[in-house]
Amino acid sequence: MPEKAVVKGLAAAERLYQDYGVRARELKKQGQKILGYLCAFVPLEIVTAAGFMPFRIKGDVNEPITKADTEMETIVCPLVRSCFDMALKGNYDFLEGIVIPHACDSICRTYDVWKYTLNLPYAHFINMPHTTGDSSLDFYRDILNTFRTSLGRFAGKEISDQELARAVELHNRQRAKVRELYELRKASPPLISGEEVARVLIAAISIPVAESIELLGDVIEEVGQRGSTPAPKKARIMVIGAQVDSIAFIKLIEDSGAWVVADDLCPGAREFMSSVDLTADPIEGIAERYLRKVKCGRTYREMKGNYEEDLEDRFGHMRQMIDDFKVDGVVLYIYKYCDPFGFEVPQIKSYIEAKGTPVLYLEDEYSMSTIGRLRTRVQAFLEMLG
Amino acid sequence: MTEEKKPEERKKRRTATEAASKIGPMVKAAIGGTVQAREEGKPLAYSFICCCYDEIIRAMDVIPVWTENYAGVCGAKRDAQRFLERAEAENFSRSLCTYALCGLGFDAWREELGEMPPESPWGGQARPDMMLGSGQMLCDPRNKWYQAAQQYMPDVPVYDVGLPWPPYEDDYDYREVQDYYVKYIVAELKGLVQFLEKHTGRKMDWDHLSELVDLTDRTWNLIWETYELRRAVPSVMGTGDAMNTMVPMVFMMATQEAYDFYQELNDELKHKIANKEGEIPDEKYRLIWGGGLPSWFALSDFNYFNSKGAVFPVEVTYRMIEATYNFDMDLSKVSDPLEHIAWRWVKFWTYWYDRARQRPGSHPDVERLIKYIEDYKIDGIVMHEAFSCRSWHVGLIWQLNMLKKVYKDIPSLILESDIVDISSYNEADTKARIDAFIDTLEAVKSR
Repeated sequence: MPEKAVVKGLAAAERLYQDYGVRARELKKQGQKILGYLCAFVPLEIVTAAGFMPFRIKGDVNEPITKADTEMETIVCPLVRSCFDMALKGNYDFLEGIVIPHACDSICRTYDVWKYTLNLPYAHFINMPHTTGDSSLDFYRDILNTFRTSLGRFAGKEISDQELARAVELHNRQRAKVRELYELRKASPPLISGEEVARVLIAAISIPVAESIELLGDVIEEVGQRGSTPAPKKARIMVIGAQVDSIAFIKLIEDSGAWVVADDLCPGAREFMSSVDLTADPIEGIAERYLRKVKCGRTYREMKGNYEEDLEDRFGHMRQMIDDFKVDGVVLYIYKYCDPFGFEVPQIKSYIEAKGTPVLYLEDEYSMSTIGRLRTRVQAFLEMLG
Repeated sequence: MTEEKKPEERKKRRTATEAASKIGPMVKAAIGGTVQAREEGKPLAYSFICCCYDEIIRAMDVIPVWTENYAGVCGAKRDAQRFLERAEAENFSRSLCTYALCGLGFDAWREELGEMPPESPWGGQARPDMMLGSGQMLCDPRNKWYQAAQQYMPDVPVYDVGLPWPPYEDDYDYREVQDYYVKYIVAELKGLVQFLEKHTGRKMDWDHLSELVDLTDRTWNLIWETYELRRAVPSVMGTGDAMNTMVPMVFMMATQEAYDFYQELNDELKHKIANKEGEIPDEKYRLIWGGGLPSWFALSDFNYFNSKGAVFPVEVTYRMIEATYNFDMDLSKVSDPLEHIAWRWVKFWTYWYDRARQRPGSHPDVERLIKYIEDYKIDGIVMHEAFSCRSWHVGLIWQLNMLKKVYKDIPSLILESDIVDISSYNEADTKARIDAFIDTLEAVKSR
């Protein structure tokens, strides 16, 4: 019999994306224990160090939300509702437990709904503070140590500093690979499309971190070996938003005649650009990274200096990316009922526009049913960019 | 122009108690007082209710401008739409908290004009000298609203107080972690004191703060004892009134005026009980307002319930106190005022945890409902899902499902509308749903 071809790189990402969770199901059969999590604020290093595979729970824009409505109000962010709907429909029945962070109201206030409805063997809420001062950092270290003890108890072991340090190093390698991948987007035209990057990153959050490093490496190598450069398009776009776990919107922009070359999204630059410092007590570095380095609307960054300096502190990384990736226009893509980002829209928009880059603000409902309306708005924006 | 739309005012809701009828003028005077204070150059702070800092700002003689209250007033006067529309024009989504949108729309307009928007309800909301947000386990607007307001008032500083409490978990008791929660809250409150000292040029009077902490404890206990009187049959005071009498609890805490108000209410309720004066003449159904903030523009819906023989002797909404002597620690022994405040906060939020542990599969929020259902002899439960607020309106369906699972099936109704945005409200539909619910209650009673 002919040997089965090994699927690698972009093809592997396509398979993992299309059948989200396929690898987790395979590994579950081999005895791997898998913990599901929401949002970029679960310290994955602790999950990995405990011997679990962290698995990002995602929604599905193509799947109408039905079962979730029997337990969760429709005023919850549609992404969270979709994630919960997928879980209720059995898509994530390989999970041993869930870890939910204090991210936003839609996530925080539904923790009990997730916990009691799914009734998995393990559930934990990471009570991350909203503020970033020294007392918040001290408190957050205590919170992380409570999680470490709790998960260790569930795993039947103590999570050692050495295991944590190894997990930090592993996750940092993954982040470094993503940064390497993003370098390919700086070329003009970019060597890899936004749609491909989105697909790879979504695939990466559904597999063990070591495998994701290999996947990213394969993709980088594959893209480097491409014979021809893609055709030029009329604009280079950056997308800013919360969790965009479908390629649909990125594809829409690229099908409309632009490249998506940069983002401030999850999964995306927001959660992969910063690493954990290797500290004597690994919890120190982990706390610092999640509380202070990952810049998200859910975290209140205390004012340093005057109002303009505060905006620079909160959004300067977006401007930096606009410069580094030679962005022509920004699409601010925000879900309805999203409090952390919804309140920032006017400030982000005016901040970026003041630097000379046009911004299109779109509010969406996490559903393919809105795609036609979005396309019209995107096309008009691209026309305006010329 | 939408900004010139005239409000459609509604006739006042009928109250059962004298105390509740006094609240309107008190709120009006308080709001007018902040505008007056601004003119006199006294320090004003935009503030949120239930943020642990009542005693601190009162002790510093900083005058709170309760922004949620002002939005509620605009809603109750049916004059919020023009401010909501202004916020929307500023690119804020209409799906966000409408208290915040109303406030942001108002701020944008006031700052643009350099004076209050025309015919602002009750004289308008005064410009603050500082804004005091908070980071809790609920309510993102508490750390986003004032940050967003800075685009209209970039010179006004914000302090955000971290105020978490331990979550209810299966694999550890909250007492294992409570010490580090208290330590953190104390540090955050110390930061607040420093912030206020810096921006007012005043020094904290720690003895005065201790007095106010003691006054607050006594007020909490008095409120608890007063609200417990409402167990009486017939019901002497309903949730409609409680949506008024919550004002001293959340907007006037740490003042003698608040304490005196509840003493008066206590006396009034005792008098009514002694004379068997129910809030309605023929009480048929006793209901609990089991969750959700009310539609401030439609408080007379409580009168509609009354007209059907239904009363609400108890509610979870705005019952933001417990008797401190029922805590599992002697709070009076915590002499440091900031530590005292922090322990009170943690003990309040964890109050129902032990009870939940005693019933397999239960949860503190559900246990609280069960206790009230039993203590107040409740026949049915009504909740309100306000579309713009995820803080208090998520988990209601689940709580009802849990109630049925761990306790019993009890008739329930979830109304849907908003706290401020009247465009979400349909009076005929609401009344039809109430009618159907009353039919269900009757059918259950007749079994």
